[in-house]
Amino acid sequence: MREEFWVITFPSIFHALRGEKLLAASRIPAKLIAVPRELTGSCEGLAARLEGEEVARAVAVLRENGVQMVKEGVKITR
Amino acid sequence: MYWGLIIGTGVVFGLGAVLLVQMGNPGNYGFCAACHLRDIAGALGIHSVATLQYVRPEILGFVLGSFALAKTSGEFRPRGGSNPLIRFVLGALMVIGALVFLGCPLRGILRLAGGDLNGITGLVGFAAGIVAGIAFLKRGYNLGRARVHAGAGNSAGYLAAAVAFILLVGVGTHAAFLRFSVQGPGSQHAPLIASLVAGLVAGAFAWRTRMCLSGGIRDFILVRDTYLLKIYGVLFLAALAGNLAFGTFKLGFVGQPLAHTMHLWNFLGLFLTGLAAVLAGGCPLRQLIMSGEGNTDAMFCVLGMLAGAGISHGFNAAGSAAGVAVNGQVAVLAGLVVAGAIGWSFREKTTAVTVGG
Repeated sequence: MREEFWVITFPSIFHALRGEKLLAASRIPAKLIAVPRELTGSCEGLAARLEGEEVARAVAVLRENGVQMVKEGVKITR
Repeated sequence: MYWGLIIGTGVVFGLGAVLLVQMGNPGNYGFCAACHLRDIAGALGIHSVATLQYVRPEILGFVLGSFALAKTSGEFRPRGGSNPLIRFVLGALMVIGALVFLGCPLRGILRLAGGDLNGITGLVGFAAGIVAGIAFLKRGYNLGRARVHAGAGNSAGYLAAAVAFILLVGVGTHAAFLRFSVQGPGSQHAPLIASLVAGLVAGAFAWRTRMCLSGGIRDFILVRDTYLLKIYGVLFLAALAGNLAFGTFKLGFVGQPLAHTMHLWNFLGLFLTGLAAVLAGGCPLRQLIMSGEGNTDAMFCVLGMLAGAGISHGFNAAGSAAGVAVNGQVAVLAGLVVAGAIGWSFREKTTAVTVGG
């Protein structure tokens, strides 16, 4: 079965953890995961996993609060 | 695919390591990113311990296997520029700690699978070091973003693979610019082709799965990701099965190959390695793999690892079967202070942006 979800990636764990907190406070369902293999060979980062319809709102919330992002919403299909 | 990669990686590393010992490597020494690199440092004259000099083709295989796969899959992207000097220092610290324990965390698992219970002490220390490193991550530790090398800088990404290839030719032709131990652990090794093939295959799997001994524990603690932990499990079982089959399993703390029983220093040695690995974004093995795929920051880290081997043996700070001398104890404690200072210093400040203000 094909799985489809969106991710936002961060330049550091610190931003990822801060992002997670802010999204939870804004009641946007998101889950931190290791950055998907499809995106990068690097293992340094975490990503927030979201459903498609929430991405724009999530990016807006994070940007407002000064959370740095690397990829502001990428669709992963596997 | 998911389980295929997990089982493949675990079996190649675990069973491969046992087979390499059968073919000539010292005990529980089939793969080790730190000690094998230390032997390479010896072969290059970075330290002068006569019994620890051999260009281990396993290491060259890690780099070349990762390079080949990254290149063919179009994921070879030379990049770097994220505080290379600090990465050099962290690389040195990782190896100074690992050589006090006598093995990187990968060898820690392999030692345990051979019945060496000192592996438990070391691995618990390693996990504790990762927890300490995560505390720094949570406080904003970050070495800054790497950039993709453009233009002429692009060729820097090939350096690790090029050097690995030159060293491979050197070891294959017994070249005069390299040193070769005539006795001791450095003289014990599997046939070159076996070591190389094992390293290549392991390097390819490690590249594909992003196998990282510190990353797996870190991601489990942070987000309960168990992918890499499953690989460690298969690796351990494969090595255990191999050791039982070949009769090389010997349970206990005492009299284990290339090991000592100073528990505190086994613990603190790999604690330092775990802490430095989290701060550097990857364990010694992972740094080699990332070097192959063109990451120049990882290459600096590997250079630091070579320097760390030089420091350890130049100042008699490495552990040995006799234990850890005072120099090694001082080196670990000093290393912890340096790693802690790096973790504390490199915190980014949050810039809260107020919208509409």
